[in-house]
Amino acid sequence: MKVVIMGCGRVGAELASMLDREGQEVTILDLDPDAFRRLPAGFGGQRHVGNGIDQEVLSRIGVGEADAFVVVTQGDNRNVMAAQMAKHIFGVPRVVCRIYDPIREELYHKLGLETISPTKVGARLLKEALEREPVSRGSSD
Amino acid sequence: MTALGACEEVDLALDFNTIQIREILVPVDGSQASMDALALACFLAKHNKGTVYAVYVVEVARTLPFDADLSAEAEEGEEILARAEQVADSLNFEITSEILQARDAGHAIVDEAIERGVDGILAGMEYKRPLGEFQMGTTVQYILRNAHCQVIICRSAAESPSK
Amino acid sequence: MYIIVVGGGKVGYYLAKELVEEGHEVLVIEKDKLKADRIAEELGDISLWGDGCEASTMEMAGFGRAEMVIAVTGDDEDNLVACQVAKAKFNVPRAVARINNPKNEEIFKKLGIDTTVSATAAILAQIEQEIPTHPLIPLLRLKGGGLEIVEVKVPMNAAVVGRRIDDILLPPQSIVALVIDKEGEPRVPNTDTVMQGGDEVVAVTRTENEDALRSAFTSAAASGSKGPKDKKR
Repeated sequence: MKVVIMGCGRVGAELASMLDREGQEVTILDLDPDAFRRLPAGFGGQRHVGNGIDQEVLSRIGVGEADAFVVVTQGDNRNVMAAQMAKHIFGVPRVVCRIYDPIREELYHKLGLETISPTKVGARLLKEALEREPVSRGSSD
Repeated sequence: MTALGACEEVDLALDFNTIQIREILVPVDGSQASMDALALACFLAKHNKGTVYAVYVVEVARTLPFDADLSAEAEEGEEILARAEQVADSLNFEITSEILQARDAGHAIVDEAIERGVDGILAGMEYKRPLGEFQMGTTVQYILRNAHCQVIICRSAAESPSK
Repeated sequence: MYIIVVGGGKVGYYLAKELVEEGHEVLVIEKDKLKADRIAEELGDISLWGDGCEASTMEMAGFGRAEMVIAVTGDDEDNLVACQVAKAKFNVPRAVARINNPKNEEIFKKLGIDTTVSATAAILAQIEQEIPTHPLIPLLRLKGGGLEIVEVKVPMNAAVVGRRIDDILLPPQSIVALVIDKEGEPRVPNTDTVMQGGDEVVAVTRTENEDALRSAFTSAAASGSKGPKDKKR
């Protein structure tokens, strides 16, 4: 599978190295060349510096041939726009988009994007951790 | 007049613009602080043979058209202005009162002050520490920042901490 | 009409100013508090400090009753999202976006933004207007239908000079809507209107017929005809 990841922050770099270890063909894009330091030493994928909401950049790094596109930059709006470009202009079959803001996340999910809100997921996981077993102070003695 | 003469003969009171203001705008919102400010304005205006304009602003949310019918809010304003008139009555002074409908109270008050050409705005302000920190409301801040005329803020006393 | 402008930079400021003068109810949403305050000071109580893509801010701003949203920030992605959320969540009937990168026009159109405005594209069009080899300027692409409104300048030596509009062979589904003479006087042509060199023609045509339409109006007359240019020395 050929995967393009936009945004080489902690999540982007982690995902890229996971997929790379599995033997997938990974391309990662970031505006800041410094961001690639987060990738592990043996990373075998391609790195590109550029703006992911520029059609020409997306085309140059091969989004047109990608099987999947994941967008995890810091800006929700940037992610939304890049995801929609990958889906509607480049016809990428699988596009996943991170949106922190839960309201925007729900809206774009309704509009047909595959979206993940770390805010919602994170809060839910924390809540589940709290509720895993009933506890109260002093109950154990 | 020589500088020396001016120094010797000056009547100190003349330098206090505060005491000379005649036309005074008082925003009232029903709080005790705003009623206190109104009373103070009445004293000043009475002394200077001036006028007090009490205004209540009905703020219209942006979700509603500007000329939306807000009769319930306006009615509350009428009641508050009636109380303001009672305060003035008790001081044997007659005031002019008015309800304004605006997007933002601060803007409305500053604009009204310009339109009426008043010398001063006398506004009351409750002492509030909602999150443990002293906070000044946005309306008072806006008035202080933008009014052309003199502004006098009359802050209520801080509640004495657990005496 | 209640119009919300997202972005209070230079474009947003002057746009709001004009709209207010035209008698519209206007609100400018600006992220930068200093800019938002300056607009309030200079244009009156028509600015709101906040993020024009944030649903709670949009709710408070009254997007629900806005008849038009115009997003003019310096970032295309913010303009796109502001317009999309305005349409999808608040059912705003009309959304206009400023585009900074003209290449983004395609994606905006595909995603349902009614109108896009690009300073870059406008300047390019002006430059193209100066280049004689391509005297056709697309003015507006009409949504769906593949039709567009174009402007063609008739060269002094064009074959159509001196001919009636009715006698000019136009490509299919094309119609001349307006003829603007050299003095800048526009008139709606009838079949007897005679073309003059230097006229500007505003026409509706199909996108694929752009070139045919252009050559209909710009091809040079066969040599020896009455073109005013030929003064053989």
